[in-house]
Amino acid sequence: MIEIKNISFRYENSESSVLNDISTKIYDGEVVLICGESGCGKTSVTRLINGLIPHYYEGTMVGEVTVNNLDVSRSELYETAKLVGSVFQNPRSQFFCVDTTSGIAFGCENMGLPENEVRKRIKKVANEQNINHLLERSIFNLSGGEKQKVACASVSAVYPSVLVLDEPTSNLDIHAIYNLREIVHEWKRQGKTVIISEHRIHWLLDICDRVIYMQAGAIQMDCPMEEFSRLKPETIQKMGLRPLTLNYHQYIKKTSRLQDTIDFHNFRYSYKEKNNALNISNLSLPRNGIIAVIGHNGAGKSTFSKCLCGLERKFNGSVTLNGLKIKKQKLLKKCYMVMQDVNHQLFCESVLEEVRLGMSEENKDKVEEVLTMLDLTAVAERHPMSLSGGQKQRVAIASALLADKELLIFDEPTSGLGYRHMKETAELLLNLKGKRSIFIVTHDPDLISSCCTHILHLENGCVKESYPFDEIGEQRLEIYFDEIKKEVTIL
Amino acid sequence: MNNNVFQAESIKRGLVLDPRTKLLLLVTMSVFVLSSAGGKGLEFLAPCLCIVPFVLLLTSKKFKSTILYAIIYLTAIMMLILLRPITNGVVNFLILGTAGIVTRFMPSIMVGMYVLSTTTVSEFNAAMLRLNVSEKIIIPLSVMFRFFPTVLDEFSSINAAMRMRGISLGGKNVTKMLEYRLVPLLTCSVKIGEELSAAALTRGLGGNVKRTNVCEIGFHLQDMVIIFLCFVPFALMLLSRCGIL
Repeated sequence: MIEIKNISFRYENSESSVLNDISTKIYDGEVVLICGESGCGKTSVTRLINGLIPHYYEGTMVGEVTVNNLDVSRSELYETAKLVGSVFQNPRSQFFCVDTTSGIAFGCENMGLPENEVRKRIKKVANEQNINHLLERSIFNLSGGEKQKVACASVSAVYPSVLVLDEPTSNLDIHAIYNLREIVHEWKRQGKTVIISEHRIHWLLDICDRVIYMQAGAIQMDCPMEEFSRLKPETIQKMGLRPLTLNYHQYIKKTSRLQDTIDFHNFRYSYKEKNNALNISNLSLPRNGIIAVIGHNGAGKSTFSKCLCGLERKFNGSVTLNGLKIKKQKLLKKCYMVMQDVNHQLFCESVLEEVRLGMSEENKDKVEEVLTMLDLTAVAERHPMSLSGGQKQRVAIASALLADKELLIFDEPTSGLGYRHMKETAELLLNLKGKRSIFIVTHDPDLISSCCTHILHLENGCVKESYPFDEIGEQRLEIYFDEIKKEVTIL
Repeated sequence: MNNNVFQAESIKRGLVLDPRTKLLLLVTMSVFVLSSAGGKGLEFLAPCLCIVPFVLLLTSKKFKSTILYAIIYLTAIMMLILLRPITNGVVNFLILGTAGIVTRFMPSIMVGMYVLSTTTVSEFNAAMLRLNVSEKIIIPLSVMFRFFPTVLDEFSSINAAMRMRGISLGGKNVTKMLEYRLVPLLTCSVKIGEELSAAALTRGLGGNVKRTNVCEIGFHLQDMVIIFLCFVPFALMLLSRCGIL
């Protein structure tokens, strides 16, 4: 049993406390969802349980946390590690080793278990979670979803009785999410206690027994899942949560506009390991719309966006825009990708310097106009790295707009965001509609239904479907998401 | 990007050698080929040892590097044998210089490459553990090996971002290229480092029990052959020092 008694916590260097007098009990075998808007303290609760608070993230703490009668805040982390396994958001930074098998063995090795026992456990866990094909591989050759699977296997191998997942789907596509769901299900079957802090709730509806809703560091609601799932969509929205069911019913009415198009020619690309990763000879898409690029892992979405940005050196295709044919080097000038990890693309010492960097000529009014539009005027003098995630994203967009980029490509801009931030991003994109052509590589149904006007569905490097997002389009999208769910679910 | 430092995927490897054998081989190559410790009497050793990387690279199925190595090395040797006697002055000096450097350095570099591309971090750790090296040295070393490919990974994303912003050689911000590259690289590395240590701690690193290691390492027939091969030049050197040879 996990018992949290009157916990208050304030991170060092932070002005207000993140948790205010929290108390709850979680019983053995319960699967609990902790939800709430970003900054509500749900991640901190997971850190309390695995002991990272107060041992790794320091601060002032009052109260007591016990897991199976072990006082977590007073015992060493390696003692807690035997009871509590943790899976984190970022699949890239969870492995100490470079190959998967040693990654799975890592926890057991740290406990000093005999070699034979560890080998036996690796085999067992790999069988249970169906990842035999992932053993003995280099971590750097796996996709995010595969890494997250290996991370789950590595915590299972220690045989902990409690598992803590901190926003595990932030960097995953919908396919990988359903895979993760199977793993959680397996844990539930084994009678383990699972605590999941999460933005996206839809995949947990039939697995979690109980929901804890937090707001501003306090528990606002604590109820069984049956009760929670009966809440009205409006209530859920008011609580700042993502919709419980994938819903596509709020598409935007398409306004009839000029049927301008962007034409793609000869979009072909092969990797050394993979022939025809992209193989599109001709494609026409509406100009100045918001186009969602969807498809399975390895369907060619990221190759498509890299080629479109002119980043692939051996790419020979072209784009026709405004009657002008744009080839490789020019594409680099006309397109801009906002990456999933925005930190990769902010270079300067202040926001102002950052957005001016790519401008061909200085134009003060234009800079001001864009900064105002993106709500960045107040932070213009700050260092980009000191901003919040959403602000960083806006800085990247601002720099693209000022550099006269015609095509903007977004790589999974909202997968790790809560409802409110997702909506904000959608609003922002809607603002750009009609001025720029926007491509969003995404698996986020909420985002698609909030702002997209057109769907481009890629599969095996080819265009499977391309359709406007209207009443019929909505049904086709629904079928797509349903199919993915069916493919993965073996229950 | 070709970042194969300690990232061998075990399925793809051919002949498996114990990491300790590889280390011994590396030492032997450096002693006898790189610094020709044998002296005049043992000059014949270097060309013989140079066949070793050729064979090893073949067994690890790195055909491209193998052929390249063979061609470059043979050319250098040919230059030494055929061209040196018939030239003089600057040309002679140049030939001696380049061919000398190639024949000396290349074999050791190739063995080094072989070792790095066919050993995994955990094999390396296991070998160090067996050699009774302290964990205080092993863990930082293995973190280092974990970090190289990570940094390369980040680097390629940052590079892409820079190209989209028009920061490249020939652009208007050439002088600031280094700074622009380092800022995001540092931020990302620090973040990854922090998350990595949090993950490692929750997996029980730093406990009070001795770590075990599941990696199967051990000496096999092929190791014996290589070890024997490595001892021959040392024995010859000893004998010649004692004046027997």
